Amino acid sequence: MADTDPTREASAGLRRTDRVRCRIGQRTGKVAVVTLSARTRAAARLGLLTSSLSRKMGRGEGMVIGGRVILRLAPDAIAEMAHDRVAALVSATNGKTSTTRLLATAVEQAGPVISQNTGANMTSGVAVTLASGDPAAQAVLEVDEAYLPAIFRATKPRVIILGNLSRDQLDRMNEVAMIARRWRDMLADATDTTVVANADDPSIVWAARHAPHVTWVAAGQVWTADSAVCLDCGSLLQRDDSTWGCPNCGFARPTPTWTLEWVDDHGVVHGPHDQRFDLPLSLPGRFNAANGAMALVATVELGLDPAESARRMATVESVSGRYAVVKVGELTIRLLLAKNPAGWSELVDVMPPAPTPVIVTINSNAADGRDPSWLWDVPFERLRGRVVVATGDRRRDLAVRLLHAEVDHVVIEDPYAPGAELPDGMRELAVVDCAATYTAFHHLRTSSDRQAARRS
Amino acid sequence: MNLTVVSVYPTLLGTYGDGGNVMALRHRARLHGIEVDVINIEPGDAVPESAELYVLGGGEDSAQTAAANALRADGSLKRAAERGAAVLAVCAGYQLLGEYFPDANSAATPGLGILDIRTDRLPKRAVGELAADPKEPLTQTLTGYENHAGATHLGPNASALATVRAGIGNGDGSEGATTAHVIGTYLHGPCLARNPQLADLLLGWAIGRDLPFIEEAEVTQLREERLRTVLG
Ligand SMILES: [Zn+2]
Repeated sequence: MADTDPTREASAGLRRTDRVRCRIGQRTGKVAVVTLSARTRAAARLGLLTSSLSRKMGRGEGMVIGGRVILRLAPDAIAEMAHDRVAALVSATNGKTSTTRLLATAVEQAGPVISQNTGANMTSGVAVTLASGDPAAQAVLEVDEAYLPAIFRATKPRVIILGNLSRDQLDRMNEVAMIARRWRDMLADATDTTVVANADDPSIVWAARHAPHVTWVAAGQVWTADSAVCLDCGSLLQRDDSTWGCPNCGFARPTPTWTLEWVDDHGVVHGPHDQRFDLPLSLPGRFNAANGAMALVATVELGLDPAESARRMATVESVSGRYAVVKVGELTIRLLLAKNPAGWSELVDVMPPAPTPVIVTINSNAADGRDPSWLWDVPFERLRGRVVVATGDRRRDLAVRLLHAEVDHVVIEDPYAPGAELPDGMRELAVVDCAATYTAFHHLRTSSDRQAARRS
Repeated sequence: MNLTVVSVYPTLLGTYGDGGNVMALRHRARLHGIEVDVINIEPGDAVPESAELYVLGGGEDSAQTAAANALRADGSLKRAAERGAAVLAVCAGYQLLGEYFPDANSAATPGLGILDIRTDRLPKRAVGELAADPKEPLTQTLTGYENHAGATHLGPNASALATVRAGIGNGDGSEGATTAHVIGTYLHGPCLARNPQLADLLLGWAIGRDLPFIEEAEVTQLREERLRTVLG
């Protein structure tokens, strides 16, 4: 790395980045600039108390109810508690929880950081997170796509990461175009924020391209089905391996300042002035390297040392249970979570190569999406050459999908039960990969917690 | 034996795993010893007129209008249907085969006039499992998922595909519409994977002879589970 000063770019960017660097440099935890009104202080105390009571009563993490209490008592609490200390917001359809965790871990090089540890990413979750921990700590927050405009305006972050947009739950129609439009409006006058945006996702580019300060990152896009059409004129976008553009109106991929390259199972981030940073993440897969690349560039925009960021990000081994290795029944499994077709397409590539057998768990509760027709959008063909255990409430839908994909499979209601007829060799595996939809993932996580509690 | 299946505008009309219907056709054809060549046609490409089978999927309002305009300008799909080619059209694809359908602002937009149907808006969006008893020659209850806001009214030259037992379908107790070798339906899921008899009917029309039904355990189990869930 010959040149470690990426701020020698455009002059506007230089001024902005230097100012941010000063601010973050001043605050190593001792400068408490946060002065809360008595009303907000009281609301925060009561909200946290409510959260902890709810948790003790076994009703989940209590983030939602706690946040509601805070915002009911002090409607402006988020703006007040966020004042001048939100380093970054992170939003995307996929990867926002992982990106947030990677970024929060990297930003700790400048002092204490608060961030969600439960994935509660709507208004109430943000309120509780800001109310908890050191009131002078920097905040790095994950935000749900739909709630982003309101939380952005209230928190005035120094950096915002926009990763990707794709269909999430099919019963919410028109979501991608609608969210891109709301993000575009949100960014129109965002003069105090640097947008770190994925140049490879046309919907993200469409939302961010008129923002006052944007740093483009070529982080890749695996899933193109939800950005087939130009959001300006409705023409079909043209794509090749490295770029995309509209043949009709000229809307096209911007030239990225940073580029992620995937070499030998890990990411390498190339920046201006021949800068090059290895990203030896513990989190698997190219899509996590993309998350890491976005986080790394955000730390540059915050005036932090990117090499130190990369070192710190490598220490993150699991994110809210994702990729955690846990014991369920007699099996030791690695938990993989995907919530939508784009996420599933990425997970299929993270699993060990054939002939290693794997477990796939499909539910269709409200949080999973009631309609599992998205199974037909996932390239399960890539699992050929092994036996897949199909389980979950919708295991029979999965079995039919696997039949058509020509993937050998067995349908098992409870593969963790003693005596379950698992595929040959599965019991002997040190770790079995188990990919699951949202509610199935949480069920496995809590069963493994209970099992751990019984053992201790 | 080879059979050409045209997937019409999959990037515009592919919201609900619609690619699965093409996969199911390929899969069922193989069971019957028929190889399928699939041609994906995008807007801007000419739709081939001489294929045996055409498949259209679902899509959002703006994509549906764009697809209808492009297909009307192209003209080949209508000529192929009139010549007797088999056509399966799902949801938005179903609506645009008709005389008119509502666009994003609920304005009546001209369709292709292949099916004698007219679509306007349901009072409330239909989202959920759909089960319907089919007309001859189909005998197995149709099962799938529906997610649409269209109320579809059949004219004298179209017959209903089925009678609704659970769900909304066309909105008047009937589900889908058919004329000659053209089938339109609100069932996705995708419908040909969940209703192999429907897939075989289309394949049989395409090759010009009836196909014997071949049962697959996974599919039978899924059908039983779904029908039990919605019909009790
Ligand atoms: Zn355009």
